[in-house]
Amino acid sequence: MRLAVRELMAGAMLTALTLSIGLHAQEFKVGSKTVQVHGFGTQGFVHTNDNNWLTMNTSNIGSGAFTDMGLNMGMQITPKLHIGGQFYDRKLGKLGDWEPLMDWAMMDYRVKPWLGFRVGKVKTVLGLFTDTQDMDFANTFALMPQSVYPIDLRDASIAHEGGDVYGKEKLPNKLGSIAYTAYGGRRADNMHSGYPYLLTGIAGITLTSYGGPVFGGDFRWNTPVRGLTVGMSRLNEMITGKGSYNGQLGIPAQPNYQENSQHDWTNQYYGKYVKDKLHLESEYRRYYRDQTIFSGITWVVTDVRGWYMGGGYTVDKWLELGSYYSHYRIIPSGGPGISDSYPDAQRHDFDKVVTAKFTVNKYTYLKVEGHFMDGNATALYPAGFYANVNPNGFADNTNALVVRAGFSF
Amino acid sequence: MKKLRFVILLLAAASIFAVHAQAQVIVIANPGVKATDISKNDLRDVFTGAATALPGGGNVVPILLKAGTVHEEFLQAYIGKNDTAYRAGWRSLVFSGQASMPKSMDTDAAVVEFVAHNSGAIGYIGKATTHEGVKVLAVR
Repeated sequence: MRLAVRELMAGAMLTALTLSIGLHAQEFKVGSKTVQVHGFGTQGFVHTNDNNWLTMNTSNIGSGAFTDMGLNMGMQITPKLHIGGQFYDRKLGKLGDWEPLMDWAMMDYRVKPWLGFRVGKVKTVLGLFTDTQDMDFANTFALMPQSVYPIDLRDASIAHEGGDVYGKEKLPNKLGSIAYTAYGGRRADNMHSGYPYLLTGIAGITLTSYGGPVFGGDFRWNTPVRGLTVGMSRLNEMITGKGSYNGQLGIPAQPNYQENSQHDWTNQYYGKYVKDKLHLESEYRRYYRDQTIFSGITWVVTDVRGWYMGGGYTVDKWLELGSYYSHYRIIPSGGPGISDSYPDAQRHDFDKVVTAKFTVNKYTYLKVEGHFMDGNATALYPAGFYANVNPNGFADNTNALVVRAGFSF
Repeated sequence: MKKLRFVILLLAAASIFAVHAQAQVIVIANPGVKATDISKNDLRDVFTGAATALPGGGNVVPILLKAGTVHEEFLQAYIGKNDTAYRAGWRSLVFSGQASMPKSMDTDAAVVEFVAHNSGAIGYIGKATTHEGVKVLAVR
């Protein structure tokens, strides 16, 4: 019944979006104010030569279980006050499960250019693209660099319930401008995300909730070199996961399983350069998590270090070419009963990517992308390849073809 | 030598054309906007959603043209993006809750009409378009 409701809601959203393609962006009035309605959607197909990827069965013919969509409404109440909200729904292999989510819903009050406030469920600013990673139409690549923007863990950092303080100020003597965001609140993950899915497969743990307080900030400098932006972000979290454990790993079963982070933080450093038809980006992210698991019986540390460099060039109004190198490495360690001994292929994933993005018109596009991955990074933490859908084990390397079409209005 | 002369002439012609194209677009604002001129950087910030106010001049609201030569010339001269990339940038702001999509008008006359009657409105039109009731901002 619950699944049927989800499918019905997903179908309604897709229908609304499909109808809207023909109608373009819509507006209606509430009193004297205009409410804007926008939407986006994508459909992807992934084929791999080996290993099933991103929880899809990609290694035979390929998989088209790669769909997402968003429906957005917003209203500018005064020049300084904006309210809005967005539904988001996706199916990515075994993830998402067509469960519609309130992606964000907030009130934004900009007192001055250097001081504004956002309250509600707010997109989290973390590096260059965390808050815009779903906007496939605006990105060159069909899949963002997975070392920094893992699509299977999207829910983990996409938004927080709480508030932001933000602003932007010009610097004197033509030194450019600075922008800042500071935030605090609470994160509550969707249970159809990569981490709960991984635990179900490798540990027999079924999470029913995963989240907790978060706070952090972002600081960026638009330098005097036109088009060059550099910045850094920090995210601190105190996460609690609750659920049940079935005894699969030899540790006695726990009907009231719990895991708690002792230290959980992310540092991200980035730079972006845009000039005419060329854009270049590079980011480094370190995610460190030290947590007690199995209700305090043992512990695990995941120290993930990822970086990428890449860019794109607009050849013509209908064609953009891009490429990136994405470097992911995990340094795992664990307490009693937790293996931290893994071959090197399970500790890294180095992905070389080439992309062509074809713009059909101002609303629709198609991307064709090749991935050449060295390593599968399957040690202890989700990184694209899951034992759940690879019951015969993993090959060290994987090549993938990704085709993704989408629209926005 | 002849080839070099030809290339120089071609570049000169292209640069004259570029200046000519830029000169065909003027930036207009509601008379209530305090500023009398605007820098290229500020203009780009306002029309890409990076800023909602002019230095020392209160809030401004950008008004766009839906399409056409003037629109393309404006984007080329001051934004540095084609229409598809430009609107994708705005949609990114919309879908992350940071802004509403600016109003887009069908004609230059509609832009003038809207800018004239809405506080803080700022737009662009062809130089030849009649623009009574608005002020022209010099772009520096």
